Amino acid sequence: MDEIALVQSAQNGDLDSFNTLVLHYQDRVFNTALRILGDEDLAQDAAQEAFISAFRSVSSFRGGSFKAWLLRTVTNACYDELRRQKRKPTTPLEPDTEDGEEMDSPRWLADPNMTPAQQSEADELEHAIQHCLDALPVDFRAVVVLADVQGMDYSEVAIAAHVPLGTIKSRLARARLRLRECLRGFEELLPSSFRLEGESNS
Amino acid sequence: MKNFRDIEQLSAYLDGQLSPSDSARLESRISSDPEIASAFNDIRAARSILRKLPPRKAPRNFTLTRQMVGLKPPLPRSYSFFRFSTAFATILLMLTFAANLILPNLFFGMGAAAPAPAAAQDAYGMGEGSGPALFAMPAAATEAPAATEAPAMAMEIAPTETPPMAMEAAPMATLPATVTNADLVPTADPLLLEEPMAKEAATAPESPAQPQGGAERQALIPVTWQIGLLSIGVISLLIMLALRHSARQKWK
Repeated sequence: MDEIALVQSAQNGDLDSFNTLVLHYQDRVFNTALRILGDEDLAQDAAQEAFISAFRSVSSFRGGSFKAWLLRTVTNACYDELRRQKRKPTTPLEPDTEDGEEMDSPRWLADPNMTPAQQSEADELEHAIQHCLDALPVDFRAVVVLADVQGMDYSEVAIAAHVPLGTIKSRLARARLRLRECLRGFEELLPSSFRLEGESNS
Repeated sequence: MKNFRDIEQLSAYLDGQLSPSDSARLESRISSDPEIASAFNDIRAARSILRKLPPRKAPRNFTLTRQMVGLKPPLPRSYSFFRFSTAFATILLMLTFAANLILPNLFFGMGAAAPAPAAAQDAYGMGEGSGPALFAMPAAATEAPAATEAPAMAMEIAPTETPPMAMEAAPMATLPATVTNADLVPTADPLLLEEPMAKEAATAPESPAQPQGGAERQALIPVTWQIGLLSIGVISLLIMLALRHSARQKWK
């Protein structure tokens, strides 16, 4: 895939070229949104919004890493979504499950320290990690998702998160520190090769 | 727990963001200080766990449609020409209506004297100078009954030609009453009017198109022009819509 040529075509209004880029990056964009928002439906909306916004402003792309530029768009879309939720919380206190039954312990009512019952529900490592990510402040969460989940380097993260490099270092260190503390609660879920050594040493 | 500066250094070291000298210094501290080594291992494990998080596949394609991004179909170049001609014809048509409505009233309102001299000039066959105006003006101003007399006379002579004459006489009757100076009316003889009217009446049967010409004189822009402009506007509009429709069909 000739990314530069596709971007240039998209800048000239060629939607098909842009859609080729969409197909190439949609998994990455969706994953970023999913890890920042922690909700699949919201992540889909944010990803779609991000691609629409990206197409409309693709003419402002001045070269460099298109991936970082695109992930910046999705990060902004996630921030917008979170702000919208904060302004207009639409979650009922006792929501129903898909079967129409009342949900006993919705995720958004859980505090960062999960109860044993909740912990048994989060029996998958992915849920545990997402739980710890959700407990992070959104600015820290975005940085750690971009750097550690997406594997971007600091300069790309700085572009995507639209913050200076020094701030990236600081936020990433704080986020990892908090995640380490949170993941201690899920020690038994972690594969042996990923067991946190701080606990065993202490 | 080490201070935050140490944690930040360890995190940056893991990502290869430290300078070689800083990295060497930190490595020696990790090997010599168990607390630093423990913190380092914790951060490294947290980072590894996040990096092993299974990537989720997008549940659907996020490809964009033209409607989503508000793109409009590319229109042929001729579209702008027809759009311009539609707008131009519409504006001209409206101007012709406005001209036909406003200008005649403006003429009658502003220069009521103008038709009178003209009539007098026509009648006497003298198109120049202010002489006829001097004759005609007082006649119209002071002989207001002429307005009523004229149709009557005309009807006697040529009943079919009364409307134009009546129309010409009527403005004369509406002349300002202030022009009643006796000095200006030495020749205000009804015969002066009678004679030209009689001439007009006498020539009327020979040129039957004259009354219609008088009616057209009030409509500055002929109706045929308006119909032409309307046709141009409608045809251009239809072509424009057809071009847009075909462009959309091709786009789909």
